[in-house]
Amino acid sequence: MSNPVVEVKNLVKTYGPITAVNDISFSIRQSEIFGMLGPNGAGKTTTVEILEGLRSADSGQVSVLGMDIDKASLKIKQKIGIQLQAPSLLPLLKVDEILDMFAGLYQQSLPLDQVLGILDLEESRHVLVKNLSGGQQQRLSVAMALVNDPELVFLDEPTTGLDPQARRGLWAAIEDMKGRGKTIFITTHYMDEAERLCDRVAIIDYGKIIALGTPHKLIMNSFEEKAIQFELEYQESEAVWKNLPGATRVATDGNEVVLYSNNIPVTMSAVLRLVEEKNLTGQLKDLHVREASLEDVFLKMTGRRIRE
Amino acid sequence: MRPFNKLLVASFKQFFRDKVALFFTFAFPLLFMVIFGLVFSGENDVSYDVGLVNQDDSVIGMTFAESIQKVTIFKVSEGALDDMLAEFKRGDLRAVIQIPADLQSAINSGNVGEIIVYYDPSQTTSSQVILSVLDQMVSEANHIITQQPVVLKLSEQSIQARNLRNIDYLVPGILAMSVLFLGLFGALPMVEWREKQVLKRFGATPLRRSTIVLSQVAYRLVLAVIQSTIIIAVAYFAFHVKVVGSWALLFGIVILGTLAFVSLGYLAVSRARTTESAMPIIQLIQFPMLFLSGVFFPVDFMPGFMRPIVNALPLTYLGDALRQVMVEATPLHSMVVNIAVLAGWLVVSMVLAIRFFRWE
Repeated sequence: MSNPVVEVKNLVKTYGPITAVNDISFSIRQSEIFGMLGPNGAGKTTTVEILEGLRSADSGQVSVLGMDIDKASLKIKQKIGIQLQAPSLLPLLKVDEILDMFAGLYQQSLPLDQVLGILDLEESRHVLVKNLSGGQQQRLSVAMALVNDPELVFLDEPTTGLDPQARRGLWAAIEDMKGRGKTIFITTHYMDEAERLCDRVAIIDYGKIIALGTPHKLIMNSFEEKAIQFELEYQESEAVWKNLPGATRVATDGNEVVLYSNNIPVTMSAVLRLVEEKNLTGQLKDLHVREASLEDVFLKMTGRRIRE
Repeated sequence: MRPFNKLLVASFKQFFRDKVALFFTFAFPLLFMVIFGLVFSGENDVSYDVGLVNQDDSVIGMTFAESIQKVTIFKVSEGALDDMLAEFKRGDLRAVIQIPADLQSAINSGNVGEIIVYYDPSQTTSSQVILSVLDQMVSEANHIITQQPVVLKLSEQSIQARNLRNIDYLVPGILAMSVLFLGLFGALPMVEWREKQVLKRFGATPLRRSTIVLSQVAYRLVLAVIQSTIIIAVAYFAFHVKVVGSWALLFGIVILGTLAFVSLGYLAVSRARTTESAMPIIQLIQFPMLFLSGVFFPVDFMPGFMRPIVNALPLTYLGDALRQVMVEATPLHSMVVNIAVLAGWLVVSMVLAIRFFRWE
């Protein structure tokens, strides 16, 4: 196995009284898609920005591409590509012009047509940035991360605000990058995105990594059961649900109830019976059974949902 | 050098697509010049409206009336005495000249012929001019009628002491104003880039901050030179304002002024978080400076207690320097002082801007 592309040891960053990143360590391997998951304010962006050389750490060691981040910042920047959250670009430049300008800031660059092709932006290459749709702007911001043919790409919530079709398009582009040997660090608060894309995931909360591994392993470690999920416009105590046959655990969030069970048919009929007895059939909505997900892992470990 | 060039080219592409920026950089100063040029251009060919009442149809009367008609600075309207006096009282005429009916007969009978002038002593300048012109005409007429030889004659040699027209005074002022605007607003894109995280995005590339600033300053300097060239060209072709002094010195001053005001602009907005808060700060500097530094009217007009303010403002020195080199106006300060003061403002603003400018 080659050396890790990113190596973080005991990283700490505080802003006044707030500890944004609290002693975290992890490493990222060559050609993997590494995801960092967590709610807003958990420390994802701070971590990424330290790795990108935009912020300095209070303590800990960070090496990127085998170089110390404090000593070789400019050298590292030549070889990494960055997509920022909420990209505000130069509105009066055309797509190809802004890509060409950014490419000009690096010693090496990828041919423009190739970058446009990966992000499916060929047709809008002569469009002013201000006239692009939200999805196109998002893809352009990812394209800007690729102009220097980087070895390591940082994507900060790249699919936020995209419609499902645009998200799938971007996922395909990210998988294509991986196929060409790039290492990708992605932050997201979309669980399905992390499960679908990432080889390994770190779940971060209050500045600490609370779980790290492949999505499958994280789910398997936490759950053998499946989940029955529904909304009920009636507040029932958690104990009532948990005492149903087959039920192992329950999590409620307002009207929403997630009931984990080893025996779905038994638990399901018990739920329906209870609802019927209490005459609440009309209040029951969106009842479905699903596999446990990373969302459930987060819920189990923190007692909260990832998106507040 | 490549990142610098890329940024510079990108800046120009954006500029030429920004209609508002184009208007304020090029059209606005020209509009200013055309409007003020037209408003003030009338005062240069001075003429006075004069009423003429000729009641004597003799040779002398007719000859005198004719010679009044020929005076170039008089715009003569003829009519009856009552009508003319009524017009005079309304303020439509500056003076009324009456040639009485008995002028020739009085002269023939050896008496003194009288020509009557009605004028308004409160209108000092016009009255003086009109009276002295008439005085001269009367004494010339005396010589002709009495046929005495002329022994002494004043030969008038009008010397054109580079007579500054209003437009001559105005054009360097407009040039100074344009340099002021262009310079002070030079830092605005940086505030916008900081606000919209473009600077942060640049921070993630190998681009150096100094390259960003240098390309922005270079962009402003090129704009300043283009803008000044256009203003000078329009002033020359439309209003015949010629550049008397050295072109190299002229553009040197434009560049020095732009640098000084760009630095001042960076300093002014160094702590402003948004473009919305940066704009009023710039305007707060720009407008008082524009009106207190004598770029549009002479400093003499200002009350004495304001002189220290006037003498502290960099625009005073830029305006004076441009006026000297363009139209050779009487200097307020020597060129060396002008350049030294502008350079001083440049250095001090730059040092403070580097110290205080907020990047994040």
